[in-house]
Amino acid sequence: MTRVSALLVLCSLAVALAVAAALEVSIGPMMIPAGRLIPDTWAYLHGARSGDAVVMGAIRWPRALAAVLVGAGLAATGAVLQAVFRNSMADPAVIGVSSGASLGAVLTIQTGLAQLNAWSTPVGAFVTGLLVVYVIYRLATLQGKTAIHALLLAGVAVGSFSSAMVTLLLSLAPLETMQQMLFWLMGGLDGTTWMNVWMILVFVAGGFVVYLWHAHALDILSLGEEQAEGLGVPLQRTKQVLFATSALVVGACVSVSGVIAFVGLIVPHLVRMWVGPRHRLLLPASAMGGGILLALADVLARMVLQPVELNVGVVTSCLGAPFFLYLLRRHYQAFERGAKG
Amino acid sequence: MSVRVDLELAGLGLPPRLQAVSARWRGGQVIGVVGPNGAGKSTLLRLIAGVLPAATGTVSLSGRPLRGLASRERARWLAYLPQQLPEDCPFTVREFVEMGRYAHRSPWGGVGGHGWQVIHDSIARMGLGSYEDVPLSQLSGGERQRAGVARCLAQESPVLLLDEPISNLDVHYQLDMLQRLRELADAGRLVVVAIHHLEFAARYCSQLLLLDKGRVYACGRPQEVLTAAALRDVFGVEAEVFTDAHAHLRFTYLYPREGDAQRPSTAVQAGEEANR
Repeated sequence: MTRVSALLVLCSLAVALAVAAALEVSIGPMMIPAGRLIPDTWAYLHGARSGDAVVMGAIRWPRALAAVLVGAGLAATGAVLQAVFRNSMADPAVIGVSSGASLGAVLTIQTGLAQLNAWSTPVGAFVTGLLVVYVIYRLATLQGKTAIHALLLAGVAVGSFSSAMVTLLLSLAPLETMQQMLFWLMGGLDGTTWMNVWMILVFVAGGFVVYLWHAHALDILSLGEEQAEGLGVPLQRTKQVLFATSALVVGACVSVSGVIAFVGLIVPHLVRMWVGPRHRLLLPASAMGGGILLALADVLARMVLQPVELNVGVVTSCLGAPFFLYLLRRHYQAFERGAKG
Repeated sequence: MSVRVDLELAGLGLPPRLQAVSARWRGGQVIGVVGPNGAGKSTLLRLIAGVLPAATGTVSLSGRPLRGLASRERARWLAYLPQQLPEDCPFTVREFVEMGRYAHRSPWGGVGGHGWQVIHDSIARMGLGSYEDVPLSQLSGGERQRAGVARCLAQESPVLLLDEPISNLDVHYQLDMLQRLRELADAGRLVVVAIHHLEFAARYCSQLLLLDKGRVYACGRPQEVLTAAALRDVFGVEAEVFTDAHAHLRFTYLYPREGDAQRPSTAVQAGEEANR
């Protein structure tokens, strides 16, 4: 892809992202006409606290920005994990990292740590997310080779274990509601505050810089570890940095939005078909694509069964699971063809 | 390649796959690593490349031990091409060869004017000039091998370590590849290849290292290494060794050594059976 067409791709994604965010802000139980978007936002920023301005400024905008940031973080992380694991079916939720992170987040809330310090929830999510990456990687790696099926199975097992622990912890707590359990297991963006937005912004933006710093190494890693070492990629250190960063980003996303599955799987795939395999372009394009997907999914989640609001993870899983099965089938076919020579 | 490099292996090994190998090779040579399957050819190349940590011994380049070098710096001295390139590689030839510049570029910057020059030269040198924009997955096995060598060239390293670069090629491309490797050595590089084809190894390599079950059986000029006795001991084949009209070392393989397989009573019979 040439420089010009790459720039065009990024510009068109940016426009789509702006449109998706605008939809997320204006569509809801109270519709805000497109023409009111900019003036009302402007008014809110200048201290207006009336009707539309408050709905938009205090509720809709934080939610829209969180959707965009979480989607971007998950999709970019998905692209990174797919390269490092050399496995196009890796996704933070599929390999159990998101559930692991949600377990850490719930733990901090149940032990009261979250009341002491607002950052303890993302930190807890980060720690358990990292633990999960480490465990499944060790389980699935034998003599430097990571087996695709072992990875997926280990991820499923560790992921269900974490979800079970989340459910158990929440069942033990007397005051918790069903809604909260749903939130941690199926994701949700309701009640997002500006504080949440700033927190994810720090982690997602920081993580993205780290990812982009490794863009060339990721290209090479996607060819296999032996190739990477021959070309001068410091393998162990690169993998450690990328795993730690992805656990941080996913931990931050999960602590705000709960477990949102399949965004990190679908988006890099679709984007790769469009922009090609190079991470210099794939990473920013995936991040924007993830933002678009999650903002639109959240609009759907709020509108489909009005006045009941669905958890956004329900929407992404409904879209993502069939896509995952399609991929599995395609890989299986490619594998069979390969085996027959 | 202004400085002639000097590669020294001192007791390099990873028992039980490979016992202490010592050798000293210079730029300008093509070194063939030969031996039967499982003799340790790939292991040796991987140990030299530092992809596999050695249990014993050291590798030094022009007197400097490689052990302490960072990955990037090592890749500027040694380019290593593994046996298997992924078949489903989605990158184009240019993108693939550009990866060879990893050790020379910064994470943010481009490869630079000199870098592009090297990339295009490397591709042209391997005869892939018209395939620059073709994804590797659409190339034939032979073209893919050449793209791999082009990527090694782009590393601008004085030493090339190639693991069976002609294994998937038909005879034309085998000769073509070996010819190109010979030219690279003549230009000053040290080329170390693991190779199965003994006659081609004898013809194109300045020196051979014959491995047998993880040990060095012989090391030296091809006609000294590939003797009838060596073929019998290491490969388990009775063969006549002679020099043909083009002064190339040739082998007539007669039959597998006694005890290794059912042996026909005479060589003549073996020939007849082969003809049937």
